[in-house]
Amino acid sequence: MAFDPIFSDAIIFSSLLALLSIGLSLTYLTTRVPNFAHASFATIGVYIALIATRVWDVVPYLAIPIAFVISGLVALALYHFILKPLIRKGASQAIQMIATLAFDLVVIALLNITADFIVKTFQVTSREFTLRSYDGEFMGLPLIVFVAPITIAILAISLHIVLRKTKFGIAMRAATQNPDLAETVGVNVKLVYGVSWILGGGFAGIAGALMSLWFLGDPNLGPLLIPSVFAASIVGGFLSIYGAIAGGIFVGLTEVLGTRFLAGEFGSWLIAYRPLIPLVFIVVTLLLAPRGLAGINWSRLRRNGSRS
Amino acid sequence: MVLGAETVFIVDLLAIFAVYVIVNLSLNLEFGYTGIPNFGKVLAVGAGAFVAASIPGRIFASLAGIEGDYISDNLLIVSQINVWLVDNVGIGFVVFFLTLGIAAAVGGGLGLLTSYPAIRLRGDYLAITLLAFGESIRIIGNNFTPLVGGTLGVQIPDPLSFLPNEIRFPVATLGMVLIAIVVYVYSERMIRSPLGRLLRAVRDNEVAAESLGKNTTQIRIKVIMVSAALAAIGGALYAFYVGGTIAFAYDRASWTFWPFLMILIGGLANNKGVIVGTLVFVTLRKLIIYFKDSFEGFVPFDVVWLDFLLLGIILLVVLLYRPQGILTEKPTPTIFPKGDSKTSEGFWSKKLNLKKLKRKP
Repeated sequence: MAFDPIFSDAIIFSSLLALLSIGLSLTYLTTRVPNFAHASFATIGVYIALIATRVWDVVPYLAIPIAFVISGLVALALYHFILKPLIRKGASQAIQMIATLAFDLVVIALLNITADFIVKTFQVTSREFTLRSYDGEFMGLPLIVFVAPITIAILAISLHIVLRKTKFGIAMRAATQNPDLAETVGVNVKLVYGVSWILGGGFAGIAGALMSLWFLGDPNLGPLLIPSVFAASIVGGFLSIYGAIAGGIFVGLTEVLGTRFLAGEFGSWLIAYRPLIPLVFIVVTLLLAPRGLAGINWSRLRRNGSRS
Repeated sequence: MVLGAETVFIVDLLAIFAVYVIVNLSLNLEFGYTGIPNFGKVLAVGAGAFVAASIPGRIFASLAGIEGDYISDNLLIVSQINVWLVDNVGIGFVVFFLTLGIAAAVGGGLGLLTSYPAIRLRGDYLAITLLAFGESIRIIGNNFTPLVGGTLGVQIPDPLSFLPNEIRFPVATLGMVLIAIVVYVYSERMIRSPLGRLLRAVRDNEVAAESLGKNTTQIRIKVIMVSAALAAIGGALYAFYVGGTIAFAYDRASWTFWPFLMILIGGLANNKGVIVGTLVFVTLRKLIIYFKDSFEGFVPFDVVWLDFLLLGIILLVVLLYRPQGILTEKPTPTIFPKGDSKTSEGFWSKKLNLKKLKRKP
């Protein structure tokens, strides 16, 4: 079957970006601080998948729930032990961002130590590794090509149901929109925020566990990935879960397919400049339409369109 | 004469210290005093280093009449230039200072570019945009070979080639420390001037500053440009000192995150604090690297990560328990009260609060 691997690349990358971007938006909605450690939560997922596959010898997909729990707890630790006290002390947003950067550094250091430990103890390659060969096959394609988008769909739909239909979801939306008012009507805002952080970090962990099946895993993946995640979130408007999904898919597809297209037009030297694409997205979106896709008034656009 | 290990250690420490002092003072001007969260500090530093890597070598090569492609025959050309520089000390120095000037100009230009988002955005959006700006320099440097030789890097000719090897590094370090002192005095005087007070006014309450007729937009542009020019000089000096530039050395951690860490540990908006913070950081890192081999056997991982872990935790602890840093921000004395500063007695009684001490119970 003639299926260009670039499309698998595009499908997987954009689904994972959407998942990471949902998580980032969930955490940003609560504390209004862009979490620079977010992509490293995904790297934690990558290593859990590695340990599950190579050390415990189980199917890599079994790593998904473990990655969700562990990354979620790490995210909760960042919120509970660092950001919450900082906010209580009235630290500025810039200071909170620096705190997430420092936390990122600690996580990266611990991941590197884990990687060294895995190599020494189990004699398993723990840098620039891939778990592709452990993946199943379906219709001549690796399973991950189907699993990644399906996971995103399931998670997005369940998140939608939770946010719209359950009491907890309504409390969550209230707490993010107006924490003071939510508190007066008896919503435990701190608890809601904590759950948001667990979900945000957990989603990143799932993305990481899935990522290891297609992309190269490395402890220092986070800083490389974070511009793309920010680009996806910013294009999506940062404050909207649905915008984050759209932004993730949009930025992911553009990064993979756009680079391919431009390289075909202008020559393969362009491929190396792929990391610039998310940066361009960030700068252009923030300067021209700072509220992203979610901020555009679609109904007005449609009305204007039909009038002209 | 061969330098002892301790001397080399201290000389190297001082050189890195001088570079970081320049970069950190410029960041303090931006972030500490004016409140612009420049998460893309690496942009200006990298630009300075790239200028040092690409311009002086080419000037020397054309002056000395050395043929060949500067990037692909870099090692050969630079060694020829270094031989030529032994007899042309004066030209070497002229080109060196010219390079610092070009670096400052390029840095200022990039500062103007960065000020475009900085006057339109605030807070986290600004920080992310500047971060994106900063990331781009490494990507371009890594891939655009004519600039700094891509992933292989380039060597930089040493204007001090005429000196014997043993004293070359101490002399270079001395020069860098002198430049750092000049930058310190400059930034200290700037802070004590009316402009310095205006910076803090913009940081603390932009609307109030504007209502008093101050042009806050212009002041932001000015500060960013000056600070980027200073950082570029720091970057160029670093490139000259290490004798080469390779794009991946100009990453987010080394030239954005570490400077933030140093000024936060030392004390935001306090130039003395910057010095203290830089000294603590540079010494700590040097010591970790110095004693790396003695650790190696005890821990089952690369000791470099211990360094990351330790510094990350230190910063978190400082942010949580002493957010003002080691030295706190102080109001700058502009005019001494009449008759108080002139006499030493009045000055000291004020300093030590002697009146309080004299009071009998």
